[in-house]
Amino acid sequence: MKTCDETRSKRKRIGLSLAAVCLVSGLSLVGCGSNPPSANQAGGTAPAGAATDPTTLTVAMPADEGTLDPAVTMDNAAWKITYPCYERLVKYDGDKTTVTYDLATSYTVSSDGKKYLFTLREGDKFPDGTPVDANAVKFTFDRLMKINKGPAGDFEELQAVKVIDPTHVEFDLKYPFPAFVSALAANYASIVDPKVMEHEVNGDMGQSYLATHTMGSGPYQLAEWKKGQYLKLTLNPAYQGAKPKLQTVYFQIIGDASSERLQLEKGQVDIAEGIPADQLKSLSSESGITVVDKPSMLVDYVYLNVGKGNPALKDKRVRQAISYAIDYQGIIQSSQAGNATQMRGPIPQGLWGHDDSAFQYSYQPDKAKALLQQAGVGHLTLTLLYSDHMPWWPSEALAIQSNLQQVGIEVKLQNVEYATERQMLDQGQFDLALGVWSPDYADPYMFMNFWFDSKNFGLAGNRAFYSNPQVDSLIRQAGSVSDQDQRTKLYQDAQKIVIDDAPYVYLYQKNYMLPMRTNVHGFVYNPMLEQIYNLAEMSKS
Amino acid sequence: MLVFVLFGVTLCTFFMSHVIPGDPAQMMAGPHASADTIRSIRRQLGLDRPLWVQYGTYLWGLLHGDLGVSIRTQQPVIHDLAAFFPATLELVLYAFLLAIVTGIPLGVLAAVKRNTVWDYAARVVSLGGVSVPVFWSGLVLILLFYARLGWLPASGRLDPSLPPPPTITGLYTVDSALTGYWADFFNSLWHLVLPAVTLSYVQLSIIVRQVRSSMLEVLGKEFILTGRANGLGRGFLIVRYALRNALVPTITVIGLSIGSLLGGAVVTETVFDWPGMGNYVVQSIASLDFPAIMGFTVVIGAAYVLINLVVDLLHYALDPQIRR
Repeated sequence: MKTCDETRSKRKRIGLSLAAVCLVSGLSLVGCGSNPPSANQAGGTAPAGAATDPTTLTVAMPADEGTLDPAVTMDNAAWKITYPCYERLVKYDGDKTTVTYDLATSYTVSSDGKKYLFTLREGDKFPDGTPVDANAVKFTFDRLMKINKGPAGDFEELQAVKVIDPTHVEFDLKYPFPAFVSALAANYASIVDPKVMEHEVNGDMGQSYLATHTMGSGPYQLAEWKKGQYLKLTLNPAYQGAKPKLQTVYFQIIGDASSERLQLEKGQVDIAEGIPADQLKSLSSESGITVVDKPSMLVDYVYLNVGKGNPALKDKRVRQAISYAIDYQGIIQSSQAGNATQMRGPIPQGLWGHDDSAFQYSYQPDKAKALLQQAGVGHLTLTLLYSDHMPWWPSEALAIQSNLQQVGIEVKLQNVEYATERQMLDQGQFDLALGVWSPDYADPYMFMNFWFDSKNFGLAGNRAFYSNPQVDSLIRQAGSVSDQDQRTKLYQDAQKIVIDDAPYVYLYQKNYMLPMRTNVHGFVYNPMLEQIYNLAEMSKS
Repeated sequence: MLVFVLFGVTLCTFFMSHVIPGDPAQMMAGPHASADTIRSIRRQLGLDRPLWVQYGTYLWGLLHGDLGVSIRTQQPVIHDLAAFFPATLELVLYAFLLAIVTGIPLGVLAAVKRNTVWDYAARVVSLGGVSVPVFWSGLVLILLFYARLGWLPASGRLDPSLPPPPTITGLYTVDSALTGYWADFFNSLWHLVLPAVTLSYVQLSIIVRQVRSSMLEVLGKEFILTGRANGLGRGFLIVRYALRNALVPTITVIGLSIGSLLGGAVVTETVFDWPGMGNYVVQSIASLDFPAIMGFTVVIGAAYVLINLVVDLLHYALDPQIRR
């Protein structure tokens, strides 16, 4: 009897355990993935000496890093580790979006705009003694193209890299690409030590090794990575430049924003990322804490699916009506606590090509209603797709829903996983969707050509599936000539059309806000290097 | 049996994680990847092959001890899990010990002092445990003991300023005690308090209820009365005879509780930033890192099955009726 019961209960237990494991994994699949990176966790203690030691900086960040390989990662969060560990041919100049020389000392461009010849600084070495020369540059870009992951997509124009001699390297482009030099200042263009090939496993070109190590010639190197706990940077002994004042930098993982705040207040961390905007105002009034507050290039906007969404969206008047129905200032207040600026066309303030005189939509519900009436649209129901990828999206979606309701458009909210949202965006399965965008390099190409070129439908950038041959022609021309005045003119002409056509609701440009202790000095915010610190120039008192 | 269960687990997880919408290549390719780049990544990851081929390849690897390479970290999943497993094990172990050490005496007390204030107190404690979600109790503890009182740390295993002890088992408390890193020992013990208490609370409650009801059942049996009539001490009877008999059903509950602890660790680790497998899998899920999600499930599934085996063996040792 007993044994029979036992067997039955055992069978039941195994069944139960199977169900439980499936449930655990299943539940986590549908549930946990939606956590915004900064809104769900709690934590915290910091290096005990952080507050007092002027050579050690501690930065609290909300989540651990994925891969650190510059040829693989597309994550700004990883760049804050890699950027100070590598050097590039050119770099962003202080707080400006123009570039200046880094490893290169000069460059020339051929008259057809397809050949760039760089002269390199002499004498630089990687920590293992390998020279930072033309070979290393060629190796870096060959590796990037061969690995062919996300970062390679930013160098689609690149045909070949040729070593002329150790201090001269030539880039051959498939077509003229005026934003090329700006792109060389991005993290992807970090020059990697060719010796990484000694760590190659199964033909991965060192991807596995570089995922957890740095092999660059920058002022710092990754000394230790305690997974899930912290990353520690120390000085690169081979670095030729001026010796940085900060000798050790900890990037400590503290998931919970309130915990980060507490530790910043107690001085256990020097800089705290990921504290929501609504808490920053009160934080900035506390003694010993200052909040960096600068306009960023991160823009928040709404995609109107012109090509594949509700047919009513093909009518320009309906799209304009939506742009007039939105209470821009209200949304900036409610989702960003006022720390944002309404956009004026697609190109943000601070980037060349921005047009201060461009037309800007404003909140005019009556005008919106009139436009809808002209278009003959009676009852219109649209879906609004979003995820929890940005913590403010859910509230923003509600605000947009109520704004559009006022002009007679019914909005059905569709909140999905971020991964799902991306797939649906790519396939055009939505009417309206929320999105953010930030440029990889400082060129209006990043906005105009990505958002509006009919070649870039879907995830690639044209998420409105918008097609206008006149715009295509203007932006393609602007993307191939090298004269900046001419390009500005072309982009501004195109902007006028796309503002009038309204395939997107140009919502706002977010401010970059970062709370830090007042004894941290020398931080320079560059809008192209969001989340990246100029550690080598920073200090603590 | 173990093999069948694990096979079922991989099958369920693999197909569940692959049929939900979303594409890891799109996640990996960056915010504005071109279709070409995404296609190239899909090919590199092998995602362009039919699902059953992918599953077959995965199983083949699994049979050879290969859990694949994580998409997010680019490291072999087995390395990642090995890096995170000791932290989870340490947390679960302490939570488990805490649940047993407090749960069994509390259950006995509730049964022996039935319908007294002790019993009611134990009931309130255990009701709280089963009805309050872990993330909530965890946050309340953090608010009280970290934010308000400042007595205990709220996250991590160790202050980063302390060098971690040399790795022997990967359990900081054990390693530091073995190597004489006493600062690490106390510091890591300190860090364990809040997450371990939070994690153990649910299991503790279940154990209290189970022990209480089994004890009540046994205490009413005739052999206890006989023992009492023969002049055996009350304490001796309770510990030597009643508890031992009451433990048999309790062991099953305790065994299953380890499994639940492993599962519950996912939430607890997230709340306390505990650098364990739970934290790892949550991040992996967000980037649809299939190999990592699969690896986690396989390890938890295997642990569950092994625990069941141990429970059965313990039954065998404790219950002479099964041995017969």
